[in-house]
Amino acid sequence: SFIRFSGKYPEHTHKNDPKAEELLSTAKFDARFQMCNQDKACWQNYVDYFRCIKKKGEDYEPCNWFKKQYQALCPGFWTERWDEQREAGAFPAKI
Amino acid sequence: MKSVSNKFLVSAKGFAAYFFSGKQSVVYYSTSVVRTPYHVVDPSPWPMIMGANLWGVAAMFICWVNEISLDSLYWGIPLFVLTFYSWVRDIINEATFQGFHTEKVQSGLTLGFILFLISELMLFFSFFWAFFHSALSSSVEIGCCWPPVGLECLDWSKVPLHNTALLVASSASITLSHNYLQWGDIWVATATYIATLGLSVMFIKNQYEEYAWSSFSISDGVYGSCFFMLTGLHGLHVIGGTCGLLFCFVRMMLLQFSSEHHVALTLAIWYWHFVDIVWLGLFFIIYIWGS
Repeated sequence: SFIRFSGKYPEHTHKNDPKAEELLSTAKFDARFQMCNQDKACWQNYVDYFRCIKKKGEDYEPCNWFKKQYQALCPGFWTERWDEQREAGAFPAKI
Repeated sequence: MKSVSNKFLVSAKGFAAYFFSGKQSVVYYSTSVVRTPYHVVDPSPWPMIMGANLWGVAAMFICWVNEISLDSLYWGIPLFVLTFYSWVRDIINEATFQGFHTEKVQSGLTLGFILFLISELMLFFSFFWAFFHSALSSSVEIGCCWPPVGLECLDWSKVPLHNTALLVASSASITLSHNYLQWGDIWVATATYIATLGLSVMFIKNQYEEYAWSSFSISDGVYGSCFFMLTGLHGLHVIGGTCGLLFCFVRMMLLQFSSEHHVALTLAIWYWHFVDIVWLGLFFIIYIWGS
């Protein structure tokens, strides 16, 4: 969204195109979860997104950072299962 | 038992024979005599019969977990008890009444028991490892926290603290009893021994009540599994230790222990101290830290 011809990358790469950047990027590096196994990172971002929304409201834009992270990291069947648990009030975390 | 004169120790030619003269086992060879303080045991049928009985016990267990009828196997229990009783009676005869348990034999028994205690320690170590594995990096299924989300832990300052006090007091009283025995005062030794047994029975009753009224069970996730495996195994050890102490109590009442020579009692007391220390570990790690 705000990287233009940063000088670090060749001109034609997607890093210099904000729209492409958004389409082609994936989860960013999180120093809290450095190993290959990212299941805790997935869980943490999922929980943080819903805590963010609960505290700040649905329209708060920076919450979408967590949403992008967890959508990139989490397997779909985990996210679906957790959504069902949240609706049933059985999700094992404090949101 | 023959008594052998020291001067005329002539062997039968061509074969070795065992003669027992009081506190020493004497081995005859064709050319020389070896006195040894070790206990060369007589042939005994009990180990083999015990092996067969243990097969019966194993068969009972297999039928129990596979829900096959146990009706044809119940005879295994009285046979097991009989064999155990006979074997132990033989050992007591050899030790207390025939005098085979020299210092060397006693130290050998003690060493064997220490190794057994170390193996029991390893057993508990493995379950503590399992507990720490699950507790230190809690998985997402239980909410990345310990204790798991939704689990009501037992309050450590209530029954578990009482249990700690019971076990520590019982360790102290059994030590007192042992000391009184060594000083020769058997009546106070008996009184403190009965106190120990009473405290341990109170502990077992407490644990039973906790188990009956607990809000979670062994199948309630990894917390339930770890908790009940550890405390359950410990409870079984307490029951076993109490049986051992009771057995030594009976022998003490039958005046089979002297103030210097009472290996079985010493080992039973060590086992009791081991059980106490494991409980302290359980209390601080599982009950306090883990809640």
